[in-house]
Amino acid sequence: MSGPVFMNHEVTTTSHTLAEYRARGGYVAFEQALRDYTPAQVGERAKASGLQGRGGAGFMTGLKWEFVAKDAPVVYLCCNIDEGEPGTFKDRWILEHSPHQLVEGMLIASYALRVRHAFAYIRGEFDLPLRRLQQALVEARAAGLVGENILGTGFSCDIIVHRGAGAYVCGEESSLINSLEGKKGYPRNKPPFPAVKGLYQKPTVVNNVETLATVPWILRNGPEQYAAIGVKKAPGTRLFGVSGHVQRPGMFEKPTGYPLAQLIHEDAGGILGGRKLKAVIPGGSSSPVLTASEAEAVTLDPESLGKAGSMVGSGAVIVVAEGTCMVRLLQVLSRFYAHESCGQCTPCREGTDWMNRILERIVAGQGTAADLATLKRLPTGIQGNTVCALGDAASMPVASFIKKFGDEFEHYVTHGRSLHEGRLAP
Amino acid sequence: MSAPTIKITVDQREMDARPGETVLQAARRHGVDIPHFCYHDKLSIAGNCRICLVKVNNLPKLQPACNLPVAPNMVIETGVEQVQQAREHVLQFMLLNHPVDCGVCDKAGECRLQDYQHAYGPKQSIARDPKHHKRKLHDLGPRITLDNERCILCSRCVRFTREVSGSSALGIVERGHHSFVEAQVPGRFDDAYSDNVIELCPVGALLSKDFLYQCRVWFLQPVRSVCTGCERGCSIKVWKRMNVRQQHMPGTDSSHVAYRTTVFENADINGPWLCNKGFDQHKWMARERLLQPLVRGQAVEPAQALAEARKLLAAAQKPAVLVSAHASNEELDALKAVLGDVPAYLHRDWAPVDGEVVEDALLIKADKNPNRAGVVARFGERTFDPAAGHDVVVVWGEVTAPLPLGAAAWIHLTPFATPLEHPATVVIPVSNTWERRGSFTNFEGKRNVFEPVFQKPAGVQHAADVLRSLAT
Amino acid sequence: MNTHFTPALLEQFDALRRQYPPEMNTSLVLPLLHCVQDANGFVTEADAHAIAIYLGMPSIQVVEALTWYSMFDREPQGRYVIKVCRNIACSLRGSERIVAHLQQRLGIDVGETTPDGRFTLKTVECLASCGTAPAMQVNRTYHEQLDEAKLDAILESLP
Repeated sequence: MSGPVFMNHEVTTTSHTLAEYRARGGYVAFEQALRDYTPAQVGERAKASGLQGRGGAGFMTGLKWEFVAKDAPVVYLCCNIDEGEPGTFKDRWILEHSPHQLVEGMLIASYALRVRHAFAYIRGEFDLPLRRLQQALVEARAAGLVGENILGTGFSCDIIVHRGAGAYVCGEESSLINSLEGKKGYPRNKPPFPAVKGLYQKPTVVNNVETLATVPWILRNGPEQYAAIGVKKAPGTRLFGVSGHVQRPGMFEKPTGYPLAQLIHEDAGGILGGRKLKAVIPGGSSSPVLTASEAEAVTLDPESLGKAGSMVGSGAVIVVAEGTCMVRLLQVLSRFYAHESCGQCTPCREGTDWMNRILERIVAGQGTAADLATLKRLPTGIQGNTVCALGDAASMPVASFIKKFGDEFEHYVTHGRSLHEGRLAP
Repeated sequence: MSAPTIKITVDQREMDARPGETVLQAARRHGVDIPHFCYHDKLSIAGNCRICLVKVNNLPKLQPACNLPVAPNMVIETGVEQVQQAREHVLQFMLLNHPVDCGVCDKAGECRLQDYQHAYGPKQSIARDPKHHKRKLHDLGPRITLDNERCILCSRCVRFTREVSGSSALGIVERGHHSFVEAQVPGRFDDAYSDNVIELCPVGALLSKDFLYQCRVWFLQPVRSVCTGCERGCSIKVWKRMNVRQQHMPGTDSSHVAYRTTVFENADINGPWLCNKGFDQHKWMARERLLQPLVRGQAVEPAQALAEARKLLAAAQKPAVLVSAHASNEELDALKAVLGDVPAYLHRDWAPVDGEVVEDALLIKADKNPNRAGVVARFGERTFDPAAGHDVVVVWGEVTAPLPLGAAAWIHLTPFATPLEHPATVVIPVSNTWERRGSFTNFEGKRNVFEPVFQKPAGVQHAADVLRSLAT
Repeated sequence: MNTHFTPALLEQFDALRRQYPPEMNTSLVLPLLHCVQDANGFVTEADAHAIAIYLGMPSIQVVEALTWYSMFDREPQGRYVIKVCRNIACSLRGSERIVAHLQQRLGIDVGETTPDGRFTLKTVECLASCGTAPAMQVNRTYHEQLDEAKLDAILESLP
């Protein structure tokens, strides 16, 4: 047990069940909300807690809810379980180990937003998380927690599980909405924002799993309690997933403001094979990379990481050890973004492919100084100019890798081979 | 009552914008053209091309003008370095895999990509990558050829079939840079309005098979005309060679060739759309002419035919006139002035033919004649009664179905040869719609004007002159 | 009556349809495509057209979805489809070795199917197994913290 909100119980073969969730205080907050609070009061509590979206953008959850018109006849809630940001595996952890916590969070949010039909949009590849969620919903329905006239209060809410089909961009909220409408997951232009015109043109709130699953805790313990955890401007705990070259990769719940060095060197057991730290991608593959010295100095909150030129993103900490070829590592990412660009807008569709082709060429030893110059230039043509943030996500790694590990790129184009023998894995 | 207006500033120029309007729309109304590929007045906003990015209120992130609602005191800048850079980038991205084969592309000369590249593009390409190859000269349907390499995926054509024509016959399949435009049934894009996508296409991806490689567009000039395909009377442009660009080769005469028909945007009648029959006007108007005056089947001089017709009318006990619904209002007025008490009947030159869309909710009307309303307004809507005992009938217009004239003598004024065995006593060739100035009145009572495209052939007279001459 | 699909499949379609509010008809595109793929192993454009008829929507939109999402296979696959993650966390933990080992064991390249139709080998993007990398999916089942010995054991355990 290493955190109050999620990692507050022993993970066993039955800890995901309704009975055990109830035994650790599950659904008390929901029942209390139905009994004691108006929907507006629930929204006020979410806002007062200072909870920020955990999907990556970090928007204030309470504010997002507030944007929905109070008199809208139909409002939809979508839980974003399209966990796809490379490095990220927290939502999966919640679904596998405490799916009822998400169900309860969705029910509370649905009550606050007067939602009749809520959707759990889950990435199509997920297997166990899907089965755990479906099982949790069967249990919740049987217990009268989901469906018509919940617990005799007159509040009705159905939760529909909707499987995606392989598309990173569907984690973008308007893309998720289009996908849920049966279309290609092209992100929409804003305005209008989903809170005004979302699913089937109705006001829609899209929240991340971790965000929604935090809501029951906030109601049970009070927003002040939550606001008191971690840093003031971005309070609470976060599920930090540590991956890459560490001894003990895994999930750690820590208050915001936690030192990155401590997470890597203590919680995750330090660098694999006793090597030195080379770089850290602190918030999912899209966040700008930090050098070892930058990483050792930062704490895991928007302010500290922002100062270092990066972001908390999805809380996915990817650790890279000395001896790794940053050029090939970047090409792994550029290949991914080119594969996942939806094809809708020009800069992303053409730019992600172009960056990847140049990197492929460099990695094959065919790159030139002119290629490197072009590669440096392209992110400025993509970033900020696209329909959604995928363009930014694809650009930031390219810009930051070249900026911080420029010598490796220079070496590669000058000598036609890697400074580190192309090594990725130890 | 005028709606309240919003003051915005575009490039230091203050302008009034309407609530609900976008920056791009407001700027366009005031003559400031912010470049755009995917935006179109009559289609939903896609915001995918990104060429219309502008600076708003000095905010760091550029916004697409096409999707930006105007707000009070908004300050828009399109000339700043950041915007110019963004445009250069967008054009560079578009041209990354575009073949730049303007030399063999029909769109050259009226291509937005070409225009914007000249106006806003980078001076030199920085790409040294081999281009991705896609499908070329693909028959999207019977009328349109698609070059997927030239396509910039703006989705105008796709949105047109979903939002305007309603066929949903086109889509963009696959993902990312593999995406391409495809027909619902490959090779079978046969929407009755399909040809609109040719002009909608801002690049040379969708081209008319009929016009393919026929002529460079800068040798052509448009003449405003009206489609004679139905009583909607859509405005069209008829494209002919400029006088200074005539071909002078043995055996060719391009002076009477219309190369293509396109839409003349007319908000009052057809907006920016036209049906395929309209796009085929240049072919339809090229059908076989009647150029030789005839009297009882024998070729005669025009004056002889007129004299014979006058003789017939002078001796007539009970003459009548069938009035062409293809005649212009001006010609109808000429007839009215000389008609006296001779009964006049509505003559519908054309009825729907096999396979043709009879009527739909967008443009196509069931009456396949452009000026029924003009005839009806002047002469009423009586149809010819064989039992009325007319002995001499002036038939004005094409005859495409047998007429029940019985034993009456005919005087036939027609611009085109008739496919039917010709029983007329006197046949007098007249000019067609493209050989004179005039107007039609459509089914909604809206008047629409047309200009002369060509000179009338020698020996052919205008119907109004013939009618006046017959009356004296 | 839609004759393209078996009655059993149509029953599954109807059951899925009942889960969604009636105004959300087109939302069934992905569930039905999944349903067909689960039943047949792959989805054809003809299936997409038939789904469009079932849902009463333009078939091009179903074809767009079929061709856009990466999980839909449009041709027959091996009995076991092995999908190895090639993204960043797995790369850092040796996914290239995993792919190489599978290529050598199965005698096929990425994107190919063994001649006996038993295995198809693919690489995929992040499976959200970054903390347990390297990872792969065999059909729907996740296998994580892979190494060569574990791979051999998995391949041998498959019926």
